[in-house]
Amino acid sequence: MTTIRQTDRPGHDEPAGHDDPAGRTDPNGSTAPGAGLPRAWALVARREISSKLVDRTFLVGTLFTLLMIAGLVLAQALLSERVDDYDVAATPAATSMAQDVADQATGLDDKVRVRVVDVPDDAAARAALTDEEADAWLTPGADGWVLVGRDEVPRNLEEVTATVVRDTTLTENAEAAGTTVAAMTRGSQLTTDVLVGDADQRDFAQGMAFALAFLFYLSSIAFGMTLAGSVVEEKQSRIVEIIATKIPVRQLLAGKVIGNTGLAVAQMALYAAIGLVGLSFTSFGSFLPSVTGALGWFLVFFLFGFLLLACLWAVAGALASRTEDLQSTSTPITLLLLAIFFGSAFLSGTPQTVLSYVPPASAVLMPQRILEGSAQWWEPVVSLGILLATAAVVVLVAERLYRRSLLQTQGRISVRQAWSAPE
Amino acid sequence: MGRIETRGLSRTFGDVRAVEGVDLVVRPGGLTGFVGGNGAGKTTTMRMVMGLLRPDAGEVLWDGRPMTGADRRRFGYMPEERGLYPKQKVADQLTYLARLSGMSTADARSAIETHLERFGLAERAKDRVEALSLGNQQRVQIIAALLHRPTALVLDEPFSGLDPAAVDAMADILRDHAASGVPVLFSSHQLDLVERLCDHLIVLARGRVVAQGAVDALRAGGPTRYRLVTDADAGWVRDVRGIHVHDVDGSAVLLELVTEGAEQAVLREAVARGAVREFSRVVPPLAEIYREVTA
Repeated sequence: MTTIRQTDRPGHDEPAGHDDPAGRTDPNGSTAPGAGLPRAWALVARREISSKLVDRTFLVGTLFTLLMIAGLVLAQALLSERVDDYDVAATPAATSMAQDVADQATGLDDKVRVRVVDVPDDAAARAALTDEEADAWLTPGADGWVLVGRDEVPRNLEEVTATVVRDTTLTENAEAAGTTVAAMTRGSQLTTDVLVGDADQRDFAQGMAFALAFLFYLSSIAFGMTLAGSVVEEKQSRIVEIIATKIPVRQLLAGKVIGNTGLAVAQMALYAAIGLVGLSFTSFGSFLPSVTGALGWFLVFFLFGFLLLACLWAVAGALASRTEDLQSTSTPITLLLLAIFFGSAFLSGTPQTVLSYVPPASAVLMPQRILEGSAQWWEPVVSLGILLATAAVVVLVAERLYRRSLLQTQGRISVRQAWSAPE
Repeated sequence: MGRIETRGLSRTFGDVRAVEGVDLVVRPGGLTGFVGGNGAGKTTTMRMVMGLLRPDAGEVLWDGRPMTGADRRRFGYMPEERGLYPKQKVADQLTYLARLSGMSTADARSAIETHLERFGLAERAKDRVEALSLGNQQRVQIIAALLHRPTALVLDEPFSGLDPAAVDAMADILRDHAASGVPVLFSSHQLDLVERLCDHLIVLARGRVVAQGAVDALRAGGPTRYRLVTDADAGWVRDVRGIHVHDVDGSAVLLELVTEGAEQAVLREAVARGAVREFSRVVPPLAEIYREVTA
């Protein structure tokens, strides 16, 4: 036990009078009422969590996000199951070709069904298009065939029709030349393939990466703001003075940061779980094994990234003296989060690779790279190590700033003032 | 039971010497009043005692040894500006603070019940703090300071903002705690209240202790005055030696001794001149001592 007489210890960082932040054993021994209690930070963390769990805004927000995720997955599923029905108008001159298209369409693209609408002449065909009785009009042109749409020609219909028209015409031309299509086109087929994953999966991974970046941003802002708000609430109401006489300020900070981080990670895990369960019901279900691993990485990165950010938010709260000050003290963090969000959404290649090692951006960008399959196995490990080291430094710096600004109530405090303020 | 002591406590804010070389003693078993004008350093001193501010020099002792965080954890403290978590329920909030003071949940629950009962707030236990009137919020804060059976009480202006009934209730509570052997230090602007309640007094002016001790002794150390009421005009007292006449109002005189024993000469003279209706020693009120020591 040291004493409150600490003038001879320059740079000494203990909060005044609290020299036993961990154990807090009472000198009177086991008969003391304090014996066997959970640590102070655990009490603080428990309050943070329980007060949040009864907060209607938080519950409604969580539920809303869950519904949004479920809705998105559902929409994705419906979209992938959807079949487009097209009515194609044809004059007697085009009926046979249109019928060929109708017969072969679904065989070429299982999302497309074509029905032929017979019209007597071109004028009637135009009328059918304008009156929305037909989606397209197939007609022989000067050199080949023309597919006319109202204001656009649906792409999948165009692709199907083009294939059928080409095949049919080729067959006719080949017969005229006394040969067969197969003989003419032998060896001319070009197919594409990719070495890693497939194109569908990459599109899916990119969509997923964006969703994760968005969730990270949303969760960091929502939890961060309430964390900073609760710090300034304690300051403004002066209850922090009572708490600081009971437990070291360091324990208060630890409890708040741990409580909020735990809750944020739990919320994120819930979102991820719902998303995964939903996906398993869609045609993307086959991607799940590779996605689940990346999601696991994301949660680990989120845990430490959020821990780092939570310390910054707590400092933003401590630098303010009233709720009104919070707007300005938290602006740097808000901007940082926005930058991370846009960086993760738009960066690729080398900038993305570099930032996937720079905390706290790495907390989003590295899991994205894992998801996209562009990260070697050792890369997330190294990046996580850097993130951990940075988080440790931030915790130490934030602790000093928090402790030194927490009991100052004369308006907004700058970071420099807080750093050099006497206790 | 413990005793709070400070030795050479000093603290500077920028260029302002808020507290300088404060030596004070708060004894167990009595109420110690802490008085002084605005900016005299009372709050700064109390915050240093509670470990919220680190002194530039000096030390705080508990029972003769340096005070630790574990000691303070069991103190009851009320900061000058009041507040609690506005959105938390009264009972939950008190439980939290009691737990931070080292109580078990079960002990906290029963203590909260008793105290809420005592302050007439039993049916408000499940209300949010913000739904309570300001007076009731202050009661909750007092409960927060008392509930863990504190080993010492350090209260900054505990009476400010209380209605007369609450002032009486608060005074009773402080007396009870003092009687149970707990040292109680409280600051106040209301000198009449301090005079009525306190056994000991510490007067602070411009960051220094200018008077300290038992209230009776402090008053006894003030000027000795006597009041004389006779039948006739008492203007003659102006000619008596060894006294200073404070005030003459017809037959009533208030005089102050310059020489010890001079009051006997006045009395003899008064009796010789006629009937004496009243002759009594006047103890100066605390306010006067306060004005004198802080002047």
